[in-house]
Amino acid sequence: MKRYGVFLLAILVLVGGVVFAEVKNPDTYIYLSISEPDTLDPHYAYDTASGEAIGMVYDNLIAYKGESVTEFVPRLSLEVPSLENGLIKDDGKTYVFPLREGVKFHNGNDLTPEDVEYTLERGILTDPYAGPMWMIIEALFDYQTIEDMVEDKLQVAWSDMVNEDGTLKSEEYASKLADFYNQYIDPAIEVEGQNVVFHLVRPFAPFLSILSQNASWSAIMDKETCVSLGLWDGEPDGWWKYHGLKKEESPIYEQAIGTGPFQLVEWDRTQQKLTLTRNDNYWGEQPKIAKAIIWGIDEWSTRRAMLEAGDADQIYTPLQYLEQVKGIPGVKIEEGARITITALHFNWTVEKGSKYLGSGQLDGEGIPPDFFSDVHIRRAFSYAFDYDTFIEQVLQGYGFRVPSVIPKGLLGFSENLPMYDFDLEKAKEEFQQAWNGEVWEKGFKLTLLYNTGNEARQTACEMLKEHIESLNPKFKIEVQGVQWPTYLDAYRQGQLPAFIIGWLADYPDPHNFVFTYFHSKGVYGTTQGQAFLDFARENLDSLVEEAIAETDNEARQKIYEEIQTIAYENALGITFYQPREIYPMRDWVKGWMFNPMRSGEVNWEGVYKEE
Amino acid sequence: MNRETRRIFRRLWSNASAILGFALLIFFVVVAVFAPFIAPPPSGRDPYIMPIVTWSSNPLPPSPEHPFGVAGKRDIFYGVVWGTRTAFRVGIIVTLISTALGLLIGSVAGYFGRLWDEVLMRITDIFMAIPFLVAAMVLTTILGTGLDKVMIAMTAFSWMGPARLIRGNILQVKEEQFVLAAKALGVRDFSIILRHILPNTIFPVLIQASMRMGSLVITAAALSFLGVGAPQGYADWGALLNYARNWMLGGQGEALKYWYMTVFPGLAMVLFVLAWNLVGDTLRDAFDPRLRL
Amino acid sequence: MTFYIIRRLLLLPLTLLGISILVFLMIGLLSPYQRLATFINSPERLKGADIDKLVEFYGLNDPLPLQYGRWLKNIFQGNLGWSYVGKEPVYDALVERFPYTLELALFSIFPILFLGINLGVISAVNHNRPLDHGLRIFSVVGWSFPDFVFGLFILMIFYSVLGWFPPGNLSLWAEEVVKSSAFRSFTGMTTIDALLNGRLDIFWDAFLHLIGPVLTLTYVQFAFILRITRSSMLEVLQKDYVRTARAKGLDERVVINKHARRNALIPVATVSGQTIIGLLAGAVIVETIFNRTGIGSFMSLAAQQLDYASIMGGTLFFGLILVLGNLIVDISYAFIDPRVRLE
Repeated sequence: MKRYGVFLLAILVLVGGVVFAEVKNPDTYIYLSISEPDTLDPHYAYDTASGEAIGMVYDNLIAYKGESVTEFVPRLSLEVPSLENGLIKDDGKTYVFPLREGVKFHNGNDLTPEDVEYTLERGILTDPYAGPMWMIIEALFDYQTIEDMVEDKLQVAWSDMVNEDGTLKSEEYASKLADFYNQYIDPAIEVEGQNVVFHLVRPFAPFLSILSQNASWSAIMDKETCVSLGLWDGEPDGWWKYHGLKKEESPIYEQAIGTGPFQLVEWDRTQQKLTLTRNDNYWGEQPKIAKAIIWGIDEWSTRRAMLEAGDADQIYTPLQYLEQVKGIPGVKIEEGARITITALHFNWTVEKGSKYLGSGQLDGEGIPPDFFSDVHIRRAFSYAFDYDTFIEQVLQGYGFRVPSVIPKGLLGFSENLPMYDFDLEKAKEEFQQAWNGEVWEKGFKLTLLYNTGNEARQTACEMLKEHIESLNPKFKIEVQGVQWPTYLDAYRQGQLPAFIIGWLADYPDPHNFVFTYFHSKGVYGTTQGQAFLDFARENLDSLVEEAIAETDNEARQKIYEEIQTIAYENALGITFYQPREIYPMRDWVKGWMFNPMRSGEVNWEGVYKEE
Repeated sequence: MNRETRRIFRRLWSNASAILGFALLIFFVVVAVFAPFIAPPPSGRDPYIMPIVTWSSNPLPPSPEHPFGVAGKRDIFYGVVWGTRTAFRVGIIVTLISTALGLLIGSVAGYFGRLWDEVLMRITDIFMAIPFLVAAMVLTTILGTGLDKVMIAMTAFSWMGPARLIRGNILQVKEEQFVLAAKALGVRDFSIILRHILPNTIFPVLIQASMRMGSLVITAAALSFLGVGAPQGYADWGALLNYARNWMLGGQGEALKYWYMTVFPGLAMVLFVLAWNLVGDTLRDAFDPRLRL
Repeated sequence: MTFYIIRRLLLLPLTLLGISILVFLMIGLLSPYQRLATFINSPERLKGADIDKLVEFYGLNDPLPLQYGRWLKNIFQGNLGWSYVGKEPVYDALVERFPYTLELALFSIFPILFLGINLGVISAVNHNRPLDHGLRIFSVVGWSFPDFVFGLFILMIFYSVLGWFPPGNLSLWAEEVVKSSAFRSFTGMTTIDALLNGRLDIFWDAFLHLIGPVLTLTYVQFAFILRITRSSMLEVLQKDYVRTARAKGLDERVVINKHARRNALIPVATVSGQTIIGLLAGAVIVETIFNRTGIGSFMSLAAQQLDYASIMGGTLFFGLILVLGNLIVDISYAFIDPRVRLE
């Protein structure tokens, strides 16, 4: 045994001294991720991995300029519309994109303005459940789904007109639905010569970012190819048959034919591996690497070992493993902050019968369902989180505080807004005032749930528990990790007293965050309980709506600051942090650049390998 | 002491691995019993939940304060000590219930034969055909988190071994003279099984059970690997090893940098399984050298 | 015997039906929202998702018998459903992944049996001597480490430190060759296909990728064979004919190899059958760590995401292997041991 140990040590010393001098696979860039795309259909894709692949194969009309999220450069469009160049008209309700000529799709077809029109209309009409198309629909028509819009315009519910298999319940609806298309959808996007013109029902400030590169839902497809593969045929009649198909039923589920710098070679679903090659006929600047591989490898240790050996150029790395990638010879760590926050929000009216309320009463053995509707409780919780220690130790300094749900880097963010600090004295005072002093006297018991697999969220729960329980021996918080299905169930049934959840920007605009968390129709707004919804309708909804329709940035800034002040005064939620991410990669990777809105983590166009 | 007993004892003690096995087992029992003194839990907290000692998730090497180091924000020494109780608890409860269940099903199938046998054995087949880890994962999602839920899942899918074993043995014993005689005398089936058949067939089952005690710890660890084991922070060797999983390949050019995360809980586990195996082997050698398994 | 085989084969569909009902009932105990986790598989996917509409869309709210009936109807049409984990039809997913599992099983079973049997015999011959104790402890240690610990250890030594045996199925260059049209696929198992194509370099590359998982599986699994061989051997060594052979003054080596060993291997054959069947079900953890794309890691992902079509399909597939495998074991047992009669 002893001799074996010495042998091992000798090997370690030997290998420790060896430095890998040559670049492995010099023409191929290998990125190890943790998942594979969900689908390659741009209108269904709503996850990072899919967006990444789609962004390489397809071009959008415009793209972000370098590391900026507010400035754009032209892509398939020859110019970025602006008020100055006159391509944004009608007080921000009309956008004109002059289309580049001579661009070819991977299969040799020419890009035409009709392709752009077709692509976006197909997306709007398809509008898959749990898909990203609500963004375009909201921007153009101010609805959340096509079904809502149809119902509102025709005054008949979608399910009363169309069967599950796409047939109509009555023939009379055929002309109605076709008219709907002709009257509303078709005029919204029009071709005028070489120009594509968008008509919005009202100004929508973030419209350009919704169309920008890396927004996979606005990638431009080839009409001819799509129709021949069996997608919507472009005709008003029968469009409903193409709506709401399952993602695996889309003919371009596993195909991607775009104009982009890379061509899809293969999506190997057994190995979770995407292989792409350079498009040698690309209209723009040629990528420097000939081949790109995005490979989903779930086991962290395996990914790390492959980076260490140089078999991978870059790997996805959760922050908690930072210490392991620091100091590997031949590996460097890049950083960047994406536009995302992680926050805890309260459920003001928990469903009765929830398992997580203890006895369900304020008797020291539980909490009443409306426990968190008391502002003092929410403030007490806000004071009882040790923000700085969390960022210092759990995030190892890779994160920072933001006042409310608007992340740094976006309009509406301000350093000067008030924030809750870690202050157990104040927390105690608030608890003493809550529920007319009953809480302090009787104590309470509740369960905080987190879904297993996310260490930062787990630690956040544990930290809250430690500090709150230290205030009063009668305070009991149980922290429970559950599987995602169980969490989803409890979340949906409104049984969670409080929930921690993150939001990654779809497009870099505060509306994307404020609406989500604070509007009574937002995804996370709806799960904060009836009492919150009442509060939001009275105090927040109109402000949120006012802010998005406003085109003047200074005015918008003001409204968003007002919303955040309301959030502070009412302690609507605890924003734990905005993280900075780490991107470990081999030293030989050159030309890597970070953009906060890039759905993938690599800018494949500019990157190359060289010692 | 009669000669037979002495012979058994002599066999037990002449056997070096038997001594090792029993010594290890006694050691673990002592650790389990005196856990509150060896690693005192913080007052007012569930002692089976390892207390959090640091907020950073980086592991810390052994120090006077944390003799085995820190993994997953928790003290490894504390986890190893209290994990002994968990190991015994899971082992004993699951083994007892699954063996009892197996005995019941196996003896009914074996003794009554025909339709009973056919139906029960097909059910056994069905349970065996479902991959254990998959079944356990689905079941724990249904039942929710908690060690008791994990034990239910483990029990539900581990009675088939004993059932088949006892059935096979009963099929052999059934035709023996003394059983036929009892039947001829009109003794009731139930008491024939209980009085005559089980005592003659139970040893292999018990020996198998003693071995299973150890291996259940490994099963629990595999469940932890898949994220459906003991709840987060629960003092359990498998869960501790699972903390080590993402750190085993070392860091900063040192492959063995985080050795303590693996070595201490791993050692406890190996010794525990080893103990039960050696004890099981010894029992078999002592009571019936003819037996397999 | 023919009757026995026919009866067992006739029972096969019944067993499979039972398996499917049991699995379906288990999954049916979950709430529709829990099962929606297949489609909304992480918090990030809550974006833009109308949860209740999705539940309805995927028919998760329908009564269980209706859902089961739907599934069964599809099965009879040869459609195992869509695998949300594999992102392809369940049937394709299983067929594409099984060769990797089979290949790993084939390469592992030989060292497992070789080591298990030989060391078992050595252990028995040296009963209760230090060598016996040593071998038993060595084997139990392997068996009692959770395989992920040992697997990661192997990965560390042979890949991170030595750089010999990389994880995955193949190197990039080899994969390009294998996927090219010039390379014909016969079995789906790369090593064997490579030999059939006369590509020794590909064979070697695939073989290197197999060593890590094979080593892990071998060390974790040979203990069981060793244990059976040892006790069976001990039993046989006390038999009269062995004593007679010894009394005749035959060389001890001949006694052990010719007389004892052969008879002692009969029970080992059964257990080996079980081991092979177990390997064919896929080694979840080893596959995950070495990034091999077999049935095991697929099924564990399916279970984690409650992807019921994949779970059902995979379980049926495994049930089929198990029932047929057991049948083959029983039949071959009858051939090995003339005393056994199948009825």
